[in-house]
Amino acid sequence: MPEEEFTGQAVEVAQVSFKYNSLKALDGLSLQVPRGVSFGLLGPNGAGKTTLIRLLVGLLRPGAGTIRILGQRPSRKMAHLIGYMPQLHSLYAELSIIQNVDFFARIYRLTDKAERARRVEAAIRLVDMWTRRNDAVQKLSGGMKQRVSLACAIVHNPPLLFLDEPTVGLDPELRVTFWEHFAGLTKQGATLIISSHTMDDAVHCDYLAFMRDGKVIARGSPGDLKQATGRPEATLEDAFLHFVQRGQQNAI
Amino acid sequence: MPSSISSSGGSRMPSSQAFTIAARVIQQLVRDRRTLALILVVPLVVMTLIGLSFPEGSVLDYIAPALLATLALFFSFLLAGISFLRERSQGTMERLMVSPVSRGDIVVGYLFGFFIFALTQTLIILLFTIYVLDVHYYGDLWQIFIFQIVVITGAVNLGIFTSTFARNEFQMVQFIPLIILPQVFLCGVLWPVEQMPDYLQWLSAILPLTYAVDGLRDIMLGGKSLIDVGIELAILAGFAVLISTLAALTLRRGAAD
Ligand SMILES: Nc1ncnc2c1ncn2[C@@H]1O[C@H](COP(=O)(O)OP(=O)(O)O)[C@@H](O)[C@H]1O
Ligand SMILES: [Mg+2]
Repeated sequence: MPEEEFTGQAVEVAQVSFKYNSLKALDGLSLQVPRGVSFGLLGPNGAGKTTLIRLLVGLLRPGAGTIRILGQRPSRKMAHLIGYMPQLHSLYAELSIIQNVDFFARIYRLTDKAERARRVEAAIRLVDMWTRRNDAVQKLSGGMKQRVSLACAIVHNPPLLFLDEPTVGLDPELRVTFWEHFAGLTKQGATLIISSHTMDDAVHCDYLAFMRDGKVIARGSPGDLKQATGRPEATLEDAFLHFVQRGQQNAI
Repeated sequence: MPSSISSSGGSRMPSSQAFTIAARVIQQLVRDRRTLALILVVPLVVMTLIGLSFPEGSVLDYIAPALLATLALFFSFLLAGISFLRERSQGTMERLMVSPVSRGDIVVGYLFGFFIFALTQTLIILLFTIYVLDVHYYGDLWQIFIFQIVVITGAVNLGIFTSTFARNEFQMVQFIPLIILPQVFLCGVLWPVEQMPDYLQWLSAILPLTYAVDGLRDIMLGGKSLIDVGIELAILAGFAVLISTLAALTLRRGAAD
C-alpha cells in the first residue's frame, strides 16, 4: 500500500498477522478507523486488543500485512501526534503525580514553561487528582494510578489517542466523566481508539469492532450491530454473541 | 530527505530531552532516601574499615584510587541497571518508546543523571581520605573527574545492557558476582595483577576495571597527567563506545519484548 493512496482514515490495518513465538495473537486482521471518532475495540481477554494497539503505536512490527497511522507507517517521526495509555498504569512510582505528568509533557516537547504548566494542571484536574498532585504515585490506589496514567497520555493534546482499557478500576461516576471527556476530544477532531472488555464502555463509542481470537468478527456503530441481530430489544452483549455464533457457523 | 528522519538516534547531539531524562533520574534517586544514603555512606564505611585495618596508611594510599574506580563501576552499573529494569517492568519504557524521544537521548540522559551521583561519591571519598584518613595524593581533581567520567560512562551502559537479560531486580543483583566481583579480584584492586598466574593476567587484560585502576593510580600516586594515561583512557573509552552501541541496540522500537 503506497503512501499516495492514503484514504484519509486515521488508522488502516490490512491483513495483519502477529505471532508471539508460536502463538498466533492476530490472524489476518483488517480494520479502518475514520478520523474524529471514538472507536471501541471490544473483546474478551486474549482477543488480541493489546497486541493490536501495540502494533498500531509501533511497539511491535507485524509479521504480515500493513499498518498505516494517519497515512504513514508508525514511526518516531510522527510520535508527537500520538497519545498512548498502556494497559498497565505505567508511571514512575517514586515520583509525585505532577512530576510524572510534567515529565511526559517535557518528553513531548512542550518547551514553553507557562504553556506546559497550564497543560499539566489541566490534565491532572481532568482526572480529578489536582488536590493529590504532590503525592508519590506509589501511595495511590489502582484506580487513581489509572487516572494519572490517562493524564500522562493526553497532556500533549494528541490528535490520535490509543487507550488500552482506560476504564478498568474506575468507579461509575468517574467512568462517566471519562466518557464525557472522550466525547469532548472527538468533537475537537481527535480520534480515539479505546479497548475494553465490558459492554458498559461499548455504548459510548461512535463505532465498534468486536474482536475474538485475533480477528475482527464485526464492525459498525452500536446501533447497527444491535440491529444485525434482527431483534429490536437486543443488547450489545446479544450482538457480540450473535456474531460469535455466526462466525462458528461459517467455520463449519 | 530532511535530517530529522534519523531512526538510529544514537549519533545525534543530545537534545533537551536528554536533560529531561537526567533530571528525572536524579529526582527518582533523591526521593528514594535509602538508596541515596547508601550511595553516600557506603564509600565512607568501606574507607573507614580499610583505614582502621591498615593504620600505617601506605595500603590505604594504594587501595583508595582503586576503590574510587571500583565504587564508580559498582554503583553506576547496579543503579543504572535496576532503574532501567524498572523502566521496562513498570511499563514506562513502553511510553518512552512510543514518544518522540530518541534512544540516544535516553542513554545520554541516564549518563548525565549518574555522573552527578558517581562524581559526588568520588568527591566524598577523596575528601574523606585526604582530610580524615590523612592520605596525600598528587593529581588534579579535574583530571580525576574526567577519568572517572569515562569509567562511569562504561559502567552505566554496562548496567543498561545487562538489565536486558534480567527479568526482575533479584536477577539483576545476581549479575554482581558475575560481572563486578571477578573484576575486583582480577583487576589489581587489592593486589597487583603481576602477582597472579599468567592465565589470570590475560583475563585481567580484557577487563575494563584493570585499566581504570591503573590509570587512577598513575594519576593519584604517580602524579601523571591524563595524557600520560592516554592508553588506559582510550581503552576505557573504546569499551564505553562498544557497550553503549550494544545497549542502544537493545532499545529498539518494535522490539519491546
Ligand atoms: N508478551 C507476550 N508473550 C506471549 N504471548 C502473549 C504476550 N502478550 C499477549 N500474548 C498472548 O496473545 C494473545 C492476545 O493477547 P492480548 O493482545 O494481550 O489480548 P487482550 O488485550 O485482548 O486481552 C493472548 O493469547 C495472550 O496470551
Ligand atoms: Mg489487553
